[in-house]
Amino acid sequence: MTLGLRADGRLVPPGGGRPAVRRRRAADPLPYLLVSPLAIFIIGLALIPAVFTIGAAFFRVDELDPPTRFIGLGNFVRLFQDDAITSSIGNTALYVLIGVVLSTVLGILFAVILQKPFLGRSALIAVLILPWALPGVVEGIIWVNIWDGNTGLLNSVLTTLHVIDHYQVFLGQNQLLTVFLTEVVQVWQITPLSTLLILAGLQNIPAEIYESASIDGASPWGAFWRLTLPLARPGITVAMVQAVIATLNVFDQPFVLNGAAATGSSVTMQTYFVTFQNLDFGEGYALSLLITIATLVISFIVLKLVYRPVEF
Amino acid sequence: MNSMTRRTSRRLRIAAGLTTLVATGAALTGCASSGSGSGGDADKTSGVTISVVLAYDPPPKATLEEFKKETGITVKWSNVDWDSLQTKIAAAATAKTYFADATDVDWSRVGQLGKLGWFHPMDDYVDVASMKSDMPQLASFQDGGKTVGIPFDASFMVTTANQKMFQDAGISTMPTTIDDYTADLKQIQNKGVSEHPLNIPFAAAEGLSTAWYQTTAAFGGTILDSKGKPQFTSKDSGGYRAASWMVQSLKDGLIAPANINVSDSQGAQTLMAKGVVASTYSDYSGDVGALYNVASSSTVTGQTVYIPTPGVDGPGPNLTNADGIGIPMTAKYPKAAAKFIQWFTSRQKQIDFAGGSGKDKVILGYALPSRVSAVDALNEKGTLDGGEVLASLLKKSKPVFPDGAPSWYPEFSRAVYTNLHAAAAGTMTVDQAIKKIGDTANQLASGS
Repeated sequence: MTLGLRADGRLVPPGGGRPAVRRRRAADPLPYLLVSPLAIFIIGLALIPAVFTIGAAFFRVDELDPPTRFIGLGNFVRLFQDDAITSSIGNTALYVLIGVVLSTVLGILFAVILQKPFLGRSALIAVLILPWALPGVVEGIIWVNIWDGNTGLLNSVLTTLHVIDHYQVFLGQNQLLTVFLTEVVQVWQITPLSTLLILAGLQNIPAEIYESASIDGASPWGAFWRLTLPLARPGITVAMVQAVIATLNVFDQPFVLNGAAATGSSVTMQTYFVTFQNLDFGEGYALSLLITIATLVISFIVLKLVYRPVEF
Repeated sequence: MNSMTRRTSRRLRIAAGLTTLVATGAALTGCASSGSGSGGDADKTSGVTISVVLAYDPPPKATLEEFKKETGITVKWSNVDWDSLQTKIAAAATAKTYFADATDVDWSRVGQLGKLGWFHPMDDYVDVASMKSDMPQLASFQDGGKTVGIPFDASFMVTTANQKMFQDAGISTMPTTIDDYTADLKQIQNKGVSEHPLNIPFAAAEGLSTAWYQTTAAFGGTILDSKGKPQFTSKDSGGYRAASWMVQSLKDGLIAPANINVSDSQGAQTLMAKGVVASTYSDYSGDVGALYNVASSSTVTGQTVYIPTPGVDGPGPNLTNADGIGIPMTAKYPKAAAKFIQWFTSRQKQIDFAGGSGKDKVILGYALPSRVSAVDALNEKGTLDGGEVLASLLKKSKPVFPDGAPSWYPEFSRAVYTNLHAAAAGTMTVDQAIKKIGDTANQLASGS
């Protein structure tokens, strides 16, 4: 085949570059085949069960009260008539609020500290990630030894420092204090991931921007406030969304630290009780659906409020 | 690239893609087929591998090898924590998939499991009638005339006391009534031997429910009647008085205020074993030998004893909360599993597991044999700490629910421990707690 040369230097096919009849390219099946395993797993293990759960939430599915039957919004009505569940919704709202705010603030703080290289930075990151790698139950047990009113470390320290004259009970008596101290344990777990997500965003910020700001007379605080924070927004958004998901699904920490007590019980704990203890799967599906909707709505709000596209 | 090369490359790409797809399909099929239920091999009792899943350490390897030599059955043992195990049992039974050939049947779940028909009746496989006289706790594992599981240990609620602390406070005779017991504990507190001498776990967990059932029995009451109606709502009932005594003991300081977050095992392991408290009112049978007399886990070795549980007019009854083992409906080899259960709950094996035949045959943490004859044998050999008291208490032990645990027990128990915990934490009164527990029982019993 002989190629001609156009005036702009491009090669043209024989025929002087007349517009050729565009042939439809045969679709390459390879990309589809390669993504198919993942797609099949997601559809099979996430989407189909999700659709099933949504449908089953409107049925009475109770192993102790067969047969399965359609009851419309009956499961949802019963959920909101249950004192244990309504109180757990309040607790969970507090877990989300405290957890997302604390983990984000601490995540930003640690990410900024780790932003610039210094001796031992890698070791510090490795240590920082440890709480994230530990199972929630293990963390609960560790923190029981700190909050415990009989032999806890906090009581010991406060007594030694003469802040208190006798051991105090921190968990189980006051709802707000119980939720706060329980959530501190989860914050300890999720903050490392928040830090890494935000840090990844900060690493993308070119050093020249800070140099320019410095030449223009920006103080470190001003650079943080006007440069770092706005440019880290994508990372902060991802960190906040993962915190929303984690805190809305908090289970291990309140279960280990405070049992099933109303002062700290979470919605996910109630889902477990309803589904696997009462064997009322329909109500369990309904509660799971509510948690999913709450997760989506709150994540969407976070996305709208915090996320801004950043290009360098 | 010529057209042939292009065609070959294209074929290779498609082949690669198809291979990935087929592999995924095979993996998914493999996942699905691993959950098959019982098949044509269900009657096999030799040359098979059965899966035993319990919240318990396995017997020593050599012991399981012995069983394999005797029967040709290989045992694959999994130790799964109790809560996870209950979830797995429920999930597998609901999905009708294979999970284990033999697994846990908790006394508190017998009514639920019996109603749901999730387990093979053991009566079809073993001579349950002949076991009855030797296993007083068997009644707790029967529902509607069928035996859901066989108790493999004899966990029952007992009172333990640190004799040395009682003596240090000038008490030489152990109390037999609640009034004497309370007075003695106050004396221990007043003499400065222990700041909070009584141990009752008040964490919102199952241990609080069982402590209340035991205390109710000691006060001469019962929890539910045969129709599931509450028997504890009037102020003079055993259940109401038991709850009042428990909460009042906490408010009076006999029990540490921090016990609102102490679970039963935690209470035993840290408070009793470390000599912080003088007595645990509702302790586990076997803890003296398995925990308090073990130097590595205790600072009170040789100081603790079992005492007959103080009641209103003298020693009260002791309620059982034994662990049982049964065969799920989806078991692959139910007959082989039954053979294992017979072996596992036999008199000789129970003696071995409890340390009667040397340390190399012991199951770590094994509480107490469920067979009275095995307990007697251990007692005669002198290998059971407090064996004489335990043997006599075991013979008189009673089920928590004489007519079997109701199918809605888990929901009821949750109402018990969350509300009693709230009363102890001061967020509601005993009166309000009892009313809520009673209302829950009435609602559940009526099926609404």
